[in-house]
Amino acid sequence: MSEALLRVSKLAVHYGDLVGIAEVSFEVEEGAVVALLGANGAGKTTTLNALAGLVRASGGTILWRGERIEERSAHEIVARGIALAPEGWRLFVQQTVEQNLRLGATALAERARLAPLLERVFSLFPRLAERRRQSAGTLSGGERQMLAVGRALMSDPKLLMLDEPSLGLAPSVVDTMYETLGRLSAAGLTLLIAEQSMELALEIADRATVLQTGRTVLSGTAREIAENPDLHRAYLGAAF
Amino acid sequence: MRASLRRVLIAIAILLAIAPVLTQDAFYQRIAALVVLAAISASAWNVIGGYAGQVSFGHSVYFGIGGYAALLAFTKLGLPPIAGAPLGILASFVLSAIVGLPSFRLRGHYFSMATIAIAALAGLLVTNWGYAGGAIGLMGPATPRSPADLLFRSPLPYYAIFLVVLAILLVLTWWMERSRMGFYLRAIGSGERAAASLGVPIRRYKLYALFISGAFTALAGSLYAVMIGFIDPDSGFGILVSVNMVVMAALGGAGTLFGPLVGAIILVPLEETTNALLGGGGTGAAYVAYGVIIMLIARFSPGGLAQFLPRIAARKSPRAA
Repeated sequence: MSEALLRVSKLAVHYGDLVGIAEVSFEVEEGAVVALLGANGAGKTTTLNALAGLVRASGGTILWRGERIEERSAHEIVARGIALAPEGWRLFVQQTVEQNLRLGATALAERARLAPLLERVFSLFPRLAERRRQSAGTLSGGERQMLAVGRALMSDPKLLMLDEPSLGLAPSVVDTMYETLGRLSAAGLTLLIAEQSMELALEIADRATVLQTGRTVLSGTAREIAENPDLHRAYLGAAF
Repeated sequence: MRASLRRVLIAIAILLAIAPVLTQDAFYQRIAALVVLAAISASAWNVIGGYAGQVSFGHSVYFGIGGYAALLAFTKLGLPPIAGAPLGILASFVLSAIVGLPSFRLRGHYFSMATIAIAALAGLLVTNWGYAGGAIGLMGPATPRSPADLLFRSPLPYYAIFLVVLAILLVLTWWMERSRMGFYLRAIGSGERAAASLGVPIRRYKLYALFISGAFTALAGSLYAVMIGFIDPDSGFGILVSVNMVVMAALGGAGTLFGPLVGAIILVPLEETTNALLGGGGTGAAYVAYGVIIMLIARFSPGGLAQFLPRIAARKSPRAA
């Protein structure tokens, strides 16, 4: 069996007395697409933020290519090849599209690779190329999501994490976004997608992990998860 | 529109350079010198408070350190007060490292509150530190022992010295704006978590910004002590010293190169004139005006005049076309 690219074991995050996540465990194989599913408040964003080093894990381990990274800071994690396109995009709205993208390349060791990476993002999202000198604050919701993904790709990651990439977008924009993610996956990029919309995520995912109130409750292949009768229970609560 | 804004700024720069020569009245020359001095500290604050978005309300601690370093160098070592400036800058570096590392874990209002506490604590310590004059403060030389004492009757030489320091600071800030550091600081200012998620070493760059900001604020404090020849806990470490820097930068445009200078050009004459007109009992009048200005900025133009003026110009230009 091949060594997992990312192995999360019993990950816990506490905000003071509040529990962000209690016990999250899953693995991500190289080149795979893994969906992190769960209802609002299940702990998906906290899990991704902990993986990105934005919040400190209070328990458990995160193994990245065999190295423990749960104590690492965000910039050390990006430099290791993990990038996050955060929920709500978190763009620098005063800065131009190109400046946002260039900031995404902060962790890049070889600056010479900046230009080809920029070209790759522009070929993936031609709309961004058209708006490269425009400030990010003037973009539409779909374009902002493209920019958030493009910016994360600028660090040339091995693992791209996306937090709710479909949130607040028109259905046609969501389709385009997932098509692009499919192309990235086909090109060999490993994806970890946190989504509330399980249909969307399971369509593209190889494997899925379902969280409920900060704990992993289901894990398996996308098909197993889709057909599992407990899935709806996990989403909608025990009453269903 | 941008070209016209640039013309206005060049005009301000020229006016600043020749302003005190235009009038022989020492009162106005003194105000001109104080404008430039205030612009130095507000521009220094701007590096961390404006560009990096870390709103410090405790920058008086650096100003006070600089002021006290200058007059301690004179009273205790017999050196010209300006010789204390490098010591003040050195102390500011040490303080930045001590204060910055823990306080940069805090964000937003919590960071601002921590900075107020640090300045208040420093003020209390100095008030109770007999060696540094306690609550009475320290005096500079009454008569010049040598030219190095920088004791002049006319405010013009001070004005010239301050202008050189301001020019150095503005050139440094201009360079920083265009460098990777400026890029990162603006990213931190507009979204710390987003910047962190892209791999920007947040705390390291905030610390660099604090080093630059603190050093120039300390230098401004030393220059103030050299010119005024007196420093006490209130004029060095008082909360109003910090508030002045924040309001000037916010009025002109925090995070812009010339914003703090524009703020100083408006606010210092306002303060000095109300003090002169209303006398001892009216010295607080300027701060009432400050309060009104803060409310107006917050309500109508959070980006200060740097944001407000282009908006007005943009509104006018379509009609003219």
